[in-house]
Amino acid sequence: MAQTQTAQPPKRNLISKLYHWITDGLQRTVYMGIQYTFPKRFVSPLGYLGVLTGIVFLVLGVTGGALMIYYQPTLSGCGSLTCAFSSVARINNSVPFGWLLRNIHYTASNAMVLLAVLHMYYQYFSGRFKIKNEVLWVTGVIFGVITAVEAYSGYDLIFNQRAGLAIEIGSSLANASPVIGGALRLATFGAGFSDFILRLYAAHVFIFPMIMLLLVFLHFPRYLVFDLPVVSAVVGALFIVAGLFPVGLGVQYSPSSPTLTIPEWYLTAIYALLRTEFDKFVMGALMPGLLILMAIVIPFVDTSKKLSWKDRPFFTALGITSIAEILVTTAWGFYINPNTSLPTLSRLLVPPSLYFSSMIGVAAVSFLLTYSFLHYIKSRERVRTAAAPLGPILTRKWVFVIFILLILSQVALNGLAVAAMSQGLRNMALFDVGAVLVAFGIIAHLYRFSQTLPF
Amino acid sequence: MPKSEGRRNFAKAIVAIAAVLSIVPFVPWGTYLSSSVSSTGAYKRQKVVVDDNPQYGAAAGQTVNVNDLTTFPPDSHWVVTYPTSGSLTQDTQNPDTFVKYELIRLPAGSPFNGDTKDAVAFVAFSKVCVHLWCSPNYNPAQGHEQYECPCHGSIYEIPDGLAKGGPASQQPPPTNAIPMMTLTADPDGTLNIEPPVWDVNHNGVLGYGRYYTSYESYIKPEAEGSA
Repeated sequence: MAQTQTAQPPKRNLISKLYHWITDGLQRTVYMGIQYTFPKRFVSPLGYLGVLTGIVFLVLGVTGGALMIYYQPTLSGCGSLTCAFSSVARINNSVPFGWLLRNIHYTASNAMVLLAVLHMYYQYFSGRFKIKNEVLWVTGVIFGVITAVEAYSGYDLIFNQRAGLAIEIGSSLANASPVIGGALRLATFGAGFSDFILRLYAAHVFIFPMIMLLLVFLHFPRYLVFDLPVVSAVVGALFIVAGLFPVGLGVQYSPSSPTLTIPEWYLTAIYALLRTEFDKFVMGALMPGLLILMAIVIPFVDTSKKLSWKDRPFFTALGITSIAEILVTTAWGFYINPNTSLPTLSRLLVPPSLYFSSMIGVAAVSFLLTYSFLHYIKSRERVRTAAAPLGPILTRKWVFVIFILLILSQVALNGLAVAAMSQGLRNMALFDVGAVLVAFGIIAHLYRFSQTLPF
Repeated sequence: MPKSEGRRNFAKAIVAIAAVLSIVPFVPWGTYLSSSVSSTGAYKRQKVVVDDNPQYGAAAGQTVNVNDLTTFPPDSHWVVTYPTSGSLTQDTQNPDTFVKYELIRLPAGSPFNGDTKDAVAFVAFSKVCVHLWCSPNYNPAQGHEQYECPCHGSIYEIPDGLAKGGPASQQPPPTNAIPMMTLTADPDGTLNIEPPVWDVNHNGVLGYGRYYTSYESYIKPEAEGSA
């Protein structure tokens, strides 16, 4: 009896048949090359931070497309300065669910930059960027730069004071480029605010995303990890953060009544460099360019066969130094002298002697600490014994109990979200929806876990 | 090298040259990006009309006449819009500083002679600072008499518009002088903005700068054909 059972092909229901019919058909397309692997057990998300960055990119695409429906970069009879800001204000204040979409889009943009940076550093310290992965690394660095530029072009479109600062600095950096300065400014920013906003809009919603999609083909490795529970939890976490820390509209930009603002955190370091008040082009373009160039050449310098960060003390120290220096520079960027009796320019000044000596100090301390830490762990290293495999933590019964509880919590959270929306508690609603997605992630993970249990 | 290989390389070189030649014609197409939605209206000679802003009192919404020292007294300043949309209300409400100019009647007496009943008594500076696109204002106070940016303290001197203080003064030419308009007066005293030439050797590039030249080059003694 048992023998005949095993010999039979697995029984497929109609949905399963349809699913397999479609996936078999897709084998004839370019997607054949992208073998998504759905891991059978939990694996560390550190290894696939790149995929998570890509997922957040998809979230940005969906929410961004929705925001385009009501965003008005410019209109005849409506000054661009007023139009952009007032249409964002409308999305924020009166379009149903507009506030939620805008907050998700904003938080996702920050998350994408952050995940891309974390992804890069993980690849760097784990040595995965080396040996045959050089091209992937270089396209990744370019991808990262375009991601930052895409984020920059996005937050300019709101036309609040912070956007104004970014526009002013961006255009003046273009102006300051040697020889081609004026022409470059004209080509990228145009000859006025109306030009500027249309150009950046075209770049933000089409040109850069298209370049990024093309880069996906050049950057994504053949084998990807697509872990539904983690993806769901990350997107849920995104919603929760957007609900907890909603972004305001800011003050409408007006060239005649400026306020002191600070750029988004990923540009604050460049802001600090500019505020040393050396040559604009050198500090604002060449210095960040130098860092990017260093990132690009690193796999061609660090050519040893050693992968682990423990075995590459110099490059580990270099990586730590770069993190420390970016953090310290960013902190400088956030600092504005609170003494309002001083002229604006002196309040903004980052004293160059102090700044550059602090940079040298940070490099020395980073190298010293990294080397001594590596020395310390080498001296303590011993052979690790493999941990005994854990037995099942949960029994089948408890899995089902948790299933029911999670489903009930999803029902409750859905109800809470609707109630919050009807009361105008939009951030509460966003938080609840995020929690629903996190609960789905846990359910999906538990389902995967339950597959290892005897049924 | 065998002859056949030489022929092959020659053929490859032909393809490479052909590819380059096929790309070259598109290089000038890059100037597609150099146009501007702000400049779709033609730049014509235009009467200078002060924006209809209540803060300008009697001058608000008025056409500037160089002979009228009461409505347009020396050491004063107003904002004007160029090119005009045709509607004074719309111009006044337009917040785009790239179409706004600070019209300054220079202080009376030597050295500026703002009490002269002629176009030389006026200058029109761009409202876009060449440092960071903020919007400067004329400061008529005794001892100042200069064009000052509230953001980072760039200071432009009158009547030439050269930056003499603040970050704009530290920028290399042509990014250290504010773009300015060419002004003329009709025989009846009506002040006009002449069609500007938007390059660094003439009226300048808005938000970028111009090569500094004395302001006399921006004043035509008489409108053409009116003598």
